[in-house]
Amino acid sequence: MKEMTQLKPLIEVDQFSFDYEQLNEPLVSEVSFNINKDETVLLMGSSGSGKSTISLCLNGLYPEAVEGVASGDIFFKGNNIKDFEKGELNQNVGIVFQDPESQFCMITVENELAFTLENIQTPREEIAPKIDQVLETIGMIDYKYHNIHELSGGQKQKVALASVLLLDPELIILDEPTANLDPVSSLVFVNLIKDLKLETQKSIFIIEHKADDWLTFTDRVLVLNKQGQLVADDSPKSLFTTNKTLIENEGLFIPKVYQKQMLQPQNEVKNETSEASMVINDLSFSRKKTLILNSINMTLNKGEMIAIVGENGAGKSTLLQLMAGILKPKKGNITFLGHSLQKWKEQKLRQHMGFVFQNPEHQFITDTTYDEVSFGMTLNGYSEDVIKERTEQLLQNFQLSAHKWSNPFALSGGQKRRLSVATMLDETPDLLLFDEPTFGQDAQTTDELMTIVKDLQAKGTTIVFVTHDMDLVDLYCDQVYVINDQQVAFEGHPHQLWKQDALLERARLRLPDRLRHGQEVGETYDLVY
Amino acid sequence: MISSINPTVKAGAILVPGVLLGLMFDIFTPLVYLIFIILVTFAFTDISLKRWLLIFSPFVLFIVSFSWTRMLYTSESFQGGAILFEFWYFQVTTEALMVSISLALRSLCFIALSLLFILTTDSTKLMLSLMQQLKLPPKITYGVLAGYRFLPTFKHELEILRQAHRIRGVGRAKGIKGRLQQFKRYSIPLLANAIRKAERVANAMESKGFTGDRNRTHYHEMKVRRRDWVFFGSMVGALFLTVFMSYYFGYLNIFGREIN
Repeated sequence: MKEMTQLKPLIEVDQFSFDYEQLNEPLVSEVSFNINKDETVLLMGSSGSGKSTISLCLNGLYPEAVEGVASGDIFFKGNNIKDFEKGELNQNVGIVFQDPESQFCMITVENELAFTLENIQTPREEIAPKIDQVLETIGMIDYKYHNIHELSGGQKQKVALASVLLLDPELIILDEPTANLDPVSSLVFVNLIKDLKLETQKSIFIIEHKADDWLTFTDRVLVLNKQGQLVADDSPKSLFTTNKTLIENEGLFIPKVYQKQMLQPQNEVKNETSEASMVINDLSFSRKKTLILNSINMTLNKGEMIAIVGENGAGKSTLLQLMAGILKPKKGNITFLGHSLQKWKEQKLRQHMGFVFQNPEHQFITDTTYDEVSFGMTLNGYSEDVIKERTEQLLQNFQLSAHKWSNPFALSGGQKRRLSVATMLDETPDLLLFDEPTFGQDAQTTDELMTIVKDLQAKGTTIVFVTHDMDLVDLYCDQVYVINDQQVAFEGHPHQLWKQDALLERARLRLPDRLRHGQEVGETYDLVY
Repeated sequence: MISSINPTVKAGAILVPGVLLGLMFDIFTPLVYLIFIILVTFAFTDISLKRWLLIFSPFVLFIVSFSWTRMLYTSESFQGGAILFEFWYFQVTTEALMVSISLALRSLCFIALSLLFILTTDSTKLMLSLMQQLKLPPKITYGVLAGYRFLPTFKHELEILRQAHRIRGVGRAKGIKGRLQQFKRYSIPLLANAIRKAERVANAMESKGFTGDRNRTHYHEMKVRRRDWVFFGSMVGALFLTVFMSYYFGYLNIFGREIN
């Protein structure tokens, strides 16, 4: 901050607190920090710490939009943001949000971008050239007339970025922009931001719980704790080397380049094979004449942890639904515990097999956490005492006892995830299927989940993950299947997969962090496959 | 081509004849106008006959059955004329038959008119035109457009919910009470998500500088040109011509009163 002192910071946050209701225990508590011109600042904090709220306060939407309460001040270039006209500040502070599905209001890319320009009253004749120009910048000129809902997640986020660029703001806020993207798409997005940063010198404020990809061009890191207080404001290097415990206590990921000891895989190649739990034979599936899966063969052994990987839209989730018997194959058959899946009685099948969906909320069907866990047992006709005992036990194991009578929808993200697994365990299942279990979860939630899963695996449950998380695959899985071009392109131990460069590139997979280790901070990574 | 007609004017060209037709109780007027609408549909749009029939035919079935009951339960004022046939408790008179055929034809006209509008109008352009021509506030215009984007996601989410609940064994719940319970189970997560998404979209829109202010520029300027008025004039004019013809031939019957 030597030569900066004379210049007014772009954003100055002074003793700012915010809450949706009252300021006794505010969500954001007396936070003070600056963002200077040309600076890239990264804000970290676990889920629920009020990170996203801060971004909406910075561009003046909150507290007004939600009738929240706030104290303290925020200054933009020395002027209090309360003094700005409605809509004026938004032009100077642009935000790209986390969810690619819900930040657009028009059908086509062209109209969405025009919407932004119309808002700031750009004369009509200037709109078309500006749209073309910004689409060139983000490399999406070919998609001008496409429907937004047909684009991939990564492309949607680029369109969101384009809208923000059209405002020509002095500060760009990125609110976990890559949380819902696959590994390669998210790297592409980060690189785009980096190029943009080099070209335009705009200030950038990034909100993330995993800092790794952004480190190469981050000047400063802020850490928000669970009480909404700012507990660190430091350069990445000094923060991640001297203040590690602070980060870990908040349940955040330490960037891999600063980890002295990398987690080592515990999944040694096993020689003895156990009994098969599920056998898939020559399975094909199509949707509206489009072939999605073509002649898939798989053998899932008892007590194994299996990953299914591949790029978005490769048919991984479809395969999982076929395994669960909620979709019917077009050709081929699936045998589960020696019987064809079609022959299983629905009720019996659900007792032996569990399925954990990507969004835990989809699985909630009762009003309390307790009922949620006991629901399956009641259906199975267990006696009152058994139900009570087992439910209490499960709640205990999953650290949910304190929230026994809470509505499942009112739980935190991590608690919801744990509960969704607990509901599948009324009996120890033989097969447990997971659809993207670690998507958008912080380090703590991920660790908790994996402890539970390892425990089940030890009891002989076969675990199947559909995932983009290559670290998860690398550290825990015994067997990995790559789905590419509707077929199984690879099957074997993860360690063998990492050697297949060409395949990794084709299936848009990234190497796990462990193997990308050795890169120094500041070194650019290419699209490492 | 009708798809390029200004949506607001087009809506007017559909609504005005639609309302006026509601008053014509004879057979001749709606029959001739129905033929006119169908001719216009195939002469001036790209809609394929197959697609049109696919949408139109279910309505025909519905309307026939509806008119049939209408014929059996005609009100007192339309029960004049000779008795055509009798069965059970019912008497069908010539007038009752006429009134119900007319009703059927009028309903078919409404449907043909609606299809002409729906199948040739882009939803975005309709909303933009309502904003620019009828001065609908931008808040409502863009709110509706944003909501429209959610429809496919909604369907997809319901699908996932069904699957998720089936896994939990909810499909086994039976009876009316069970069904009600099921409805509640679907609606809470759907609503919770919808509200969350709506809030996110609203935040995103405001972050892009949207204030709801009418003072904004328009990239797609929706103009009302001469040919839009020509279309409006033809649709309404054709109806008046039909009415005149039916008056001339002595068929005209407005709201139950024969006009000769």
